[in-house]
Amino acid sequence: MTSSIFMHPATMFIIGALLLPLANKLKIQKIWLVLVPLLAFIQIHYLPESFGRVEWLGFDLQFGRVDQLTVVFLHVFTLMALIGSIFGLHVKESGQHAAAWLYVAGSLGTTLAGDYLTIFIFWELMAFASVFLVWYRKRRRSIEAGYRYLLVHTFGGLVLLGGIFLHYQNGHDLSFVAISPDTATLAQYIIMVGFMLNAAVPPIHAWLPDAYPEATVIGAVFMCAFTTKTAVYVLARGFAGFEALMILGAIMTLYGVFYAVIENDARRILAYHIVSQVGYMVCGVGIGTEMAVNGAAAHAYAHILYKALLFMGVGSVLEMTGRSKLSELGGLYKYMPVSMVFTVIGGIAISGFPLTSGFISKSMIIAAAAEEQQIIIMLMLSLAAVGTFLSVGIKLPYYIWFGPNDCGLKPKEVYWNMKVGMSIAAFMCIFLGIFPGYLYNMLPYAVHWHPYTAHHLAETFYLLGFTGFAFYLMSKYLKPHDVSNLDLDWFYRRGADWFMWLARHPVNASNEWVSNVYQNVGLRFTRATAKALSWFDWEGIDWALDGSARGVVKSGDQVRQFQTGKLQQYIGAAAALIFIVLIVVVLI
Amino acid sequence: MENYLILNTLNFPILSTLLILPVIGAIVAMFLRGDTMLKYWGLAVTLVTALASLPLWSSFDQTTAKYQFVELRHWFPALHLDYVLGVDGISVLLVLLTTLIMPLCILCSWTYIKTRWKEFVIVTLLMETAMLGVFLSLNTVLFYIFWEGMLVPMYLIIAIWGGARKDYASIKFFLYTFAGSIFLLVAIIAMYITTGTFFIPELMDHSFGFSYQMWIFSACAIGFAIKMPMFPFHTWLPAAHVEAPVAGSVILASILLKMGGYGFLRFCLPMAPAATAYCMPFMIVMSLVSIIVGGYLALGQSDIKKLIAYSSVGHMGFVTLGIFLLNDAGIKGAMLQMLNHGVTTGALFILIGIIYERTHSREIADNSKLGMFMPIYVTFLGIFSLSSLAFPGTNSFVSEFLVLYGAFDKFPLVGAVSILGAILAAAYMLRLLQKMVWDDSDGHVHHGHDDHEGGESHALFDCNAREFIQLAFLTVFVFWIGLHPTPLLDMMDSSVTHLLHQIDAGSIVPEAVKHGESHALLENAGAWIKNLF
Repeated sequence: MTSSIFMHPATMFIIGALLLPLANKLKIQKIWLVLVPLLAFIQIHYLPESFGRVEWLGFDLQFGRVDQLTVVFLHVFTLMALIGSIFGLHVKESGQHAAAWLYVAGSLGTTLAGDYLTIFIFWELMAFASVFLVWYRKRRRSIEAGYRYLLVHTFGGLVLLGGIFLHYQNGHDLSFVAISPDTATLAQYIIMVGFMLNAAVPPIHAWLPDAYPEATVIGAVFMCAFTTKTAVYVLARGFAGFEALMILGAIMTLYGVFYAVIENDARRILAYHIVSQVGYMVCGVGIGTEMAVNGAAAHAYAHILYKALLFMGVGSVLEMTGRSKLSELGGLYKYMPVSMVFTVIGGIAISGFPLTSGFISKSMIIAAAAEEQQIIIMLMLSLAAVGTFLSVGIKLPYYIWFGPNDCGLKPKEVYWNMKVGMSIAAFMCIFLGIFPGYLYNMLPYAVHWHPYTAHHLAETFYLLGFTGFAFYLMSKYLKPHDVSNLDLDWFYRRGADWFMWLARHPVNASNEWVSNVYQNVGLRFTRATAKALSWFDWEGIDWALDGSARGVVKSGDQVRQFQTGKLQQYIGAAAALIFIVLIVVVLI
Repeated sequence: MENYLILNTLNFPILSTLLILPVIGAIVAMFLRGDTMLKYWGLAVTLVTALASLPLWSSFDQTTAKYQFVELRHWFPALHLDYVLGVDGISVLLVLLTTLIMPLCILCSWTYIKTRWKEFVIVTLLMETAMLGVFLSLNTVLFYIFWEGMLVPMYLIIAIWGGARKDYASIKFFLYTFAGSIFLLVAIIAMYITTGTFFIPELMDHSFGFSYQMWIFSACAIGFAIKMPMFPFHTWLPAAHVEAPVAGSVILASILLKMGGYGFLRFCLPMAPAATAYCMPFMIVMSLVSIIVGGYLALGQSDIKKLIAYSSVGHMGFVTLGIFLLNDAGIKGAMLQMLNHGVTTGALFILIGIIYERTHSREIADNSKLGMFMPIYVTFLGIFSLSSLAFPGTNSFVSEFLVLYGAFDKFPLVGAVSILGAILAAAYMLRLLQKMVWDDSDGHVHHGHDDHEGGESHALFDCNAREFIQLAFLTVFVFWIGLHPTPLLDMMDSSVTHLLHQIDAGSIVPEAVKHGESHALLENAGAWIKNLF
């Protein structure tokens, strides 16, 4: 058993994280940061099918269960850990790297877990490690956002734990296997809700756009990859074919895109895009056919890489300029050309351009929806693809790198390690687009899908071309009004399409309300009530107790005053008392 | 009597040694001079006591529920009053907790206590004897003597070395807990009158009538609920914690509060099983209220010590919840929770003491952004905060997990409500951690990797070796219990099974009560009082 614990890739990251401060002291932190993820990336190819079976408090735990579905996620998670660590090499704080690695360990542990309890343990590790990636930004907003983030996740984790307990009671079995939608129990639905929280399914998604934009530069790169995709994995493993997931997933795709289109902060745009892109995966899981689950896994793989690439690109800008609002940026292509190229690659990949990874994965899910005759779902997914291209494919790079205004900054190009990190991710985005077989061979089921058909290509070009043309037209049309950054703000909220305007008022209001509900109503109300209770505690309950104590003292004082110390008076009083008693006795 | 006991087979009377050593130490301390000398003497005596207690761990027989290492001397034969000491799976771990925590109490006071070291050492050592006596006594009178004996040293610790409102807090502590103990004394005497014995195992086996049990249960439960403390009897705790010196807070949190839980397990459950079963719903509801209200109150505090004090109310709510679930997982979880709370909250109070010595403030706001200046301190703060909120892999997770498991097993709704308490625990501990570790002001930091250290001079210096040793010692337990709790659970196993058997055998009575005879309770009460006179 001991040896099988060291076999676990999470162990490598945990030990690696614990030794990081030491590596920092020995001045080998940079080597260490590359070595550990690299070893883990190699190690996952040599895992046995089952390992790490432990009995704990009478429960049978399984720390390692490896099959096709696990492999694809393990592969991309460890690859991503390598890319992220390289990207963050220049960061000296060991703590930040350690948090990132513990977070990765949580994600790997969840992916490999064969039972619910192990999932829960690593689930919590993920939440608690990742919050440090937000807190290390060390700004007031980040600290508060991190706190909210962690509370939401603790809540989600405990919902999960409650579901697990109930589930255990039903069958006294904790093993985590596929659940049939027809026989699902309440306990299993509760578990599903716990998973859905991490997948950022609306209306329990608000933590994501709240916290991710507040994370550190490398923190956001890590966070965009692991939490939601781990949730997709557990949903795919346990809840494939649940219709609710299909519908919610499709809603997610549009929901995220709506907000991405109207956002100004580059990292908030990307955060909303995670909601949207994860929507595709959740939808694929919900459809539940072999092809759809394949699509979900493939899309998770592709998404991690291009979304990380985008976060790295935008993070580079933030790192060098300290800004991430589109309205404050522009014209940076002259100064950071390498970052620009990588961001654009990420942008076209997420938009699903042919020859990029997005094309070969997203199309699988849409095709799976079509195959199942889910026309509305298919249309929703396609519409979301248009919005994606509009916001991340065009808007984001346009306003950061080109844009109608010049922000006046002349930042340097990023550090070499950041370029290396981005180039690996960019390479993978293109590589997968050209050689889809590499990814398809890893998928859980055999793939009978060919992305590069004439029909599919034409359809994609049509959609993308139309979107690009529309943007071009509106951009020209609105340019004369572009007198200040504020106008810019007004432009992309108003200009792109009528549905954005519509989205902003009714939906934004409700979103703001939802995302603030735990802040305004939840936290403030809770604190106010807590204060009131505290007051009652000290002034109410205590007042009664102290009051009675004072009463005793006071009456004691009064009794004391009867005592004059003069013997005659005592004798007189005693005689009087006896006399009274006698009279009473005689009379009665 | 011997049916219940296994006489001590070690070559020295281990339990009496544990009781006598601190007393001898205290007597010798009277003749010592010089603060340094006294400090080292106090440390030496507590350490030797801790070492002397270790055979309890190594030689403990897990296979039996009988009392072990027993010492039996006849004391007042006329009253059938004997000097009987013994431990079983329920008390042995609490004894070890006590002996291991006490050296830390001396260590954490090293520079915190500045006056009257002689008195401090004497009082602390006497306190140790009294606390150990409570856990070791197998005789109700002996138990009660030690139980009340604890009050005086604790009162002195708060009243002499306490904070600004020490008079208020110490008197409140004394009166409050004393008032609770009076009921306990009444119960002890009443049981003696009925059965003619003070011997605890015999009292456990005696089956009292149902209404009699109700009276016994109520009298004991009030005393123990105050000690615990259980809502609404908890108000003495924050006052005492806030004003007590660091060692006082550690003793209170780590050991004194455990007396309540121990009392429930030793007296209420086995001696009044039918009443326990009858009162179970009520006690569970009160536990839930403690968990929720304690957590809620902790959230509203700006004083770190008060926050931890209220968190104790919540954590001890888990203990009573586990106890009154009356199932294996619940009771084991409750017992483990007592140990864990002793380790974790003890450590948190030590941490507060450390920071108080540096900043002279217990306000959260005055102790912010420590992460920059005290990385070691903050690391420990993080570990114990996570342990306090029951993070998987730490000790509290195992115990809260067991309690929650027991709850879901019996009443899923209760489990669901207590999970809310766990969320509150996360909320207040993280709020504390976040405010203390990070800089709350919005500085101009856009380069996430900016190095803050160096250049800035600050009076805050990190933990020294003495502080590090205390915290590292407790950290070992956090992870040991968190990752491998089986040895501890095995030690409890036989005794808990035996206890559950006692409850099952004794709780058949309320079936009759449930079917409409509960009103007989008051009638019986009248008759019972008549009989008493």
